[in-house]
Amino acid sequence: MATEVHSLQELRRSASLATKVFVQRDYSDGTTCQFQTKFPPELESRIERQLFEETVKTLNGFYAEAEKIGGSSYLEGCLACATAYFIFLCMETHYEKVLKKISKYIQEQNEKIYAPRGLLLTDPLERGMRVIEISIYEDRCSSGSSSSGSSSSSSGGGGGGAGGR
Amino acid sequence: MPSSTGKRFKPTKYIPVSTAAALLVGSTTLFFVFTCPWLTKAISPAIPVYNGLVFLFVLANFSMATFMDPGVFPRADEDEDKDDDFRAPLYKNVEIKGIQVRMKWCATCHFYRPPRCSHCSVCDNCVEDFDHHCPWVNNCIGRRNYRYFFLFLLSLSTHMVGVFTFGLIFVLNHMEKLGAAHTTITMAVMCVAGLFFIPVIGLTGFHIVLVARGRTTNEQVTGKFRGGVNPFTRGCCGNVEHVLCSPLAPRYIVEPKKKQAVSVKPPFLRPDLSERQITVKISDNGIQANLNRSKSKISLEGLEDKSMDVQPPLPPKGDPSKYSELKGQLGTSEEGGLSPKLISPPTPAMYKYRPAFSNNPKVHYHATADQITMQEGHTQGALIEEDGRSLDYQSEPSLDIPSYRKSSLHKTYQSSPLQIDSFAINSRSLSLKSAGRRGTDKVPLHPMKSEGAASTPYKSIFSPNSLSNRNGSLSYDSLLNPMSPSGRKCIAHSAVSSVGYHSPYLSAKMCHLRGSELQRQPPQSFSPVLGGPAPHQRDPSPVRYDNLSKTIMASIQERKEMEEREKLLHSHPDSVFADSGVYDTPSSYSLQQVSTLSEDPRSMAMRYGSRDNLMAATSFSTRNPILQSSVSSLSSAMTRAPRTSTTSLQADLANNNVQSHQALQGRVSNGSYKSPGHQVPSSPTGMPRSPSYGGPKAVSFVNTVEITEVQSVGAQRDDMQLKTPHSKINGQPKGISRLGSTSSSQGTPVSPARHSSVKKVSGVGGTTYEISV
Repeated sequence: MATEVHSLQELRRSASLATKVFVQRDYSDGTTCQFQTKFPPELESRIERQLFEETVKTLNGFYAEAEKIGGSSYLEGCLACATAYFIFLCMETHYEKVLKKISKYIQEQNEKIYAPRGLLLTDPLERGMRVIEISIYEDRCSSGSSSSGSSSSSSGGGGGGAGGR
Repeated sequence: MPSSTGKRFKPTKYIPVSTAAALLVGSTTLFFVFTCPWLTKAISPAIPVYNGLVFLFVLANFSMATFMDPGVFPRADEDEDKDDDFRAPLYKNVEIKGIQVRMKWCATCHFYRPPRCSHCSVCDNCVEDFDHHCPWVNNCIGRRNYRYFFLFLLSLSTHMVGVFTFGLIFVLNHMEKLGAAHTTITMAVMCVAGLFFIPVIGLTGFHIVLVARGRTTNEQVTGKFRGGVNPFTRGCCGNVEHVLCSPLAPRYIVEPKKKQAVSVKPPFLRPDLSERQITVKISDNGIQANLNRSKSKISLEGLEDKSMDVQPPLPPKGDPSKYSELKGQLGTSEEGGLSPKLISPPTPAMYKYRPAFSNNPKVHYHATADQITMQEGHTQGALIEEDGRSLDYQSEPSLDIPSYRKSSLHKTYQSSPLQIDSFAINSRSLSLKSAGRRGTDKVPLHPMKSEGAASTPYKSIFSPNSLSNRNGSLSYDSLLNPMSPSGRKCIAHSAVSSVGYHSPYLSAKMCHLRGSELQRQPPQSFSPVLGGPAPHQRDPSPVRYDNLSKTIMASIQERKEMEEREKLLHSHPDSVFADSGVYDTPSSYSLQQVSTLSEDPRSMAMRYGSRDNLMAATSFSTRNPILQSSVSSLSSAMTRAPRTSTTSLQADLANNNVQSHQALQGRVSNGSYKSPGHQVPSSPTGMPRSPSYGGPKAVSFVNTVEITEVQSVGAQRDDMQLKTPHSKINGQPKGISRLGSTSSSQGTPVSPARHSSVKKVSGVGGTTYEISV
């Protein structure tokens, strides 16, 4: 995602991966899949708190729905037993369906909300559902803003993209 | 079999599963061939059907248990564990339904194992809801396949009972022909069934009990909940339902799907902070000590109404004419031909250098206040948040601030120490520099200035904010006098800039010096700021920070230089805080601890079994280079980390007795910034008892300290006794009382690889720490 175009002549704006924030799991309710809705401080200047919380809450809702023990999961279990689990070859499970929904949701959130702010959400599934990884990108102007010197490129420092320099 | 790169092919591990499969299939086939025909004729054709179904069920579950991924966690990315590896403690506590559960760091997989997760040495993977590794299926039994394993046991027991019973019926009906082939074979099958009857039924019964109690084999065998409460139980019915009926969990080890790449291209949107500014500033009136970020956030929202109440009284107290005058002056100053750096809103500090403003202290004040509000989103955001938290100088916000505002803070930081020193002449050059830098970030003042009413709260907020903020150089006198230029600009500037590196330091000092005074100030302290008569609420500070500033400045500058150096060397020191930001620990005690720690020179050898120790034990050589290379980054992190470390240490302390707590304090104090004149009263009372995720922070500090000793980090701060940690760790008195640690049962005993022997210390709640002594 980081397009690094080094052009000394033009004021070419490129984004480079600055850092990653990890939103950890919230285990307060046992091993059910939930993520902490606490707003990471690194995102303080990058995205509105409410948007972030809404994203995490929606994801939590999705996961709760996926893990819900209800009618569909009973049916699925019985059917699987009856067919000696061959049903798994043909049909995708309830959890997998919700995961697809989640993946689409994350994609959509990335496109609409996070990418314009220089952030990128990673599907927690790729990390074993342990963290939501948020990559923070920095605007690396070749014009050499005052913050460009900081190699650590904290989001605050490099955020000269929005403001005119 | 030749062993290739990668996993060696070990035929021995396939023996049990092959035997089991062979026995199962073979015996059942024989049964069907030799016993069933007679049974079908003699009794009923339903018998082979029944047995056939059961056998099919057995086979299906056996296959699922054998071939299904039990819930293996993929290895953590390098980015994720970057800050955890070297400084994190071995254990991290998390509270589940009110019960403290320990998460252990997995050195192989590079993450803290989620609750109920365990690392299987046979499979060399961390498995979710790890039950056990079953040799008969040659697979781990975990979250995904426990149901199939359980059903396999049940069905196998049923099958064995059926085979034995029907075989017995056959034999009893063929007693006279015992020598016949059919009978002999049936008897052989019966023997096999009878032989495995006891172990299988025994295991089935064991697992029935486990399912009913909601435990895993691992937990049962290690006695985790012996005499305690199992936080994972859902009640008997709930547990059974969970095992049998819950949806099939997904695989984590998946091939990366090709999905649409989302392009991230600048320019990036920034959150609109104008409203937030108002809200935040009002709630952060410098009086209320918001103990943690979430709290302050809540208070921010809760106090929005308050701001409405506050606003009306403010203008009368102030001088409306002054405001207009200020605005006018600001406008002119902006339009005026000041130095290029100052044209676009410079830092508040800069205002004092403007010739136009030098005569009018009011201008300074308001200008800076406005200035601050005008700042660019991200700086403001940090500032605001920082203000929210700065009131609580014991909080951890300063931890976060450096991580994401490093560069800006860094720059402002430069000027702030000088600012601290009576705001006067000597800071001019630096403040100019910082102003220049910050100025570029500023949004034009004009829009904000037009909001007359809105601006007042800013000013009022800023004044007390900066007061409570770690601007050590401010004296109450200047703050009490709202017209005082030094007070104003310093307040504003310090509010803006002091959030940075020196904040932990200063805030601790502030805590010491002005804690009582600040806390005494009632919420309606807006009045003093606006020049109202409220000064009576605050007594003049007995301590003039100007006097103290020199040493502070020196240390701050030193620190800053170090950080700059480190920053240049390393690209991602911020990752240090990636986790610390995520793992929230109550902030109230963090800075307190910094201050308290500075007192006690006793170093704590409380390593909490930092992972690098553990890993050193296992693979010393491999870890060292990594450690060495990351030391400098860590040292820079260390500069930021004192708070994190204290916080985490605090978290860990919560689990230990007071003795260890005190010892820790001493130790951390050694590692933390110790300004020469910095004496802070110990106030451990704020120590939280059950921090949720306290690990990384404490760890970060612990590890940074350790690492600094390993490589005498360039952090040549005189007042930082970096060298001491290790030695002190070694000489750590047994302030930490230990009760038998159970952690030793868990894993490899940490041998004294690098530092010295590791002691396992168990604390409250069964948490165990490994301390290098």
